[in-house]
Order: sequence, then C-alpha cells, then structure tokens
Amino acid sequence: MALLRAEEEAKVRGWFAELERPVELLVALGPEETPLPGAVDVDFGAEAQRLTEELASLGERVTCRVEEEPEGFPRFPSIAVRPDGRDAGVRYDGLPWGYEMGSLVGAVVEAGRSESSLRPESLAALEALDRDLSLDVFVTPT
Amino acid sequence: MLLAFRCALASERVTAAAIEANEFPQLSQEMGVYAVPRIVVDGEPRWDGSVPEAEFLRRITA
Repeated sequence: MALLRAEEEAKVRGWFAELERPVELLVALGPEETPLPGAVDVDFGAEAQRLTEELASLGERVTCRVEEEPEGFPRFPSIAVRPDGRDAGVRYDGLPWGYEMGSLVGAVVEAGRSESSLRPESLAALEALDRDLSLDVFVTPT
Repeated sequence: MLLAFRCALASERVTAAAIEANEFPQLSQEMGVYAVPRIVVDGEPRWDGSVPEAEFLRRITA
C-alpha cells in the first residue's frame, strides 16, 4: 500500500524541498504492548520502519535510521523527529496511519524550519516556563 | 497534535508525544481515553479535543 496518494506525495515533496535544516527520523523498535484480543495482526515495528523510510525518501534533507531499544523511549515502536539530528523530545508512538500521517509530516516540516511557526505570544509563554512540561496527545487513525 | 509538536520544537523544556491509542490500549485505559485527541499534561489527563493556539498555550502553562 502506498503511503500517500500521488497528489499528496507531490505536496509533501514540495514542503520537504523547502526545509531549512536537516531532519532525522529515528525509528525506535522494542517490545510492544500486547494487542487487544481480536486486534488486527500487524507487525507494528516493521510497518513503522517502512512508513518512515518511505517518508524520508520524499526529501533530500530528511533521513531515517533505526535503533533497537534506544534510551528515552517509554513505548515501541516510536518515531522521533530530530531537527539537525538533535533529540527535541518529539515522538510519535505507534503507527501514524491515515490522517495522523499529516501530524508526522507537519512535525518534520516544523523541525526543518529555522524559526518556529508559533505566534510570538506563544513563544513568550514557553520562554517564561520555569519547569519541564510533558505533553501526551492520544490520537487514533481516521 | 501539531501544536504540541511545535511547542516541543520551540522549547527545550517541553516534550511532546503523539500516542496511537489503539496500539497502547492499557495506557489509554489508564488515561481514560474515550475521545481523541485527549491531552495529557505531566501525566494528568486534562481535556479532549482541539483548541486554538492561544487557548492551548494558556491551558498547558496554567
């Protein structure tokens, strides 16, 4: 199954061509949570690797590498989006199927920007943080 | 989801994970995920649904 439809792929290639810095996608593989009884039998790790490699092939500045059980990953499989190969604390845990592929693509585009696309007020609020903040967003493929 | 990613990319203090709820059913159950997106801040479920950028920042930094 193709990752994206032809017209979507063309759009993504266009966005990736404009990245201002390299973005590395690190696929972290390891023990996975036991699926619910009756769940679809999918090798999530292998599929995450395939999707990520295909995504990375759409832009010269996007690269992909795979590691077994790297540190700092509570769940597997996981895809880390790393601007300039640096761990920025951005993860996609599980498979970015369907609409959620757009979130991963969006993360790559943002990571490839030299300046944040957030509004100045938002950046000021983040700048004022005096503690670490962990955000988990539960999603489903639609 | 993108807002959370953008915040993490903009601040070294912030980390952001998208978690595919169907693939992590035990964790999803612990976090009481019935609707998505469910936003969990520092391990505490906070709200469901998308909100505008200003409101998102207000809620996570409150």
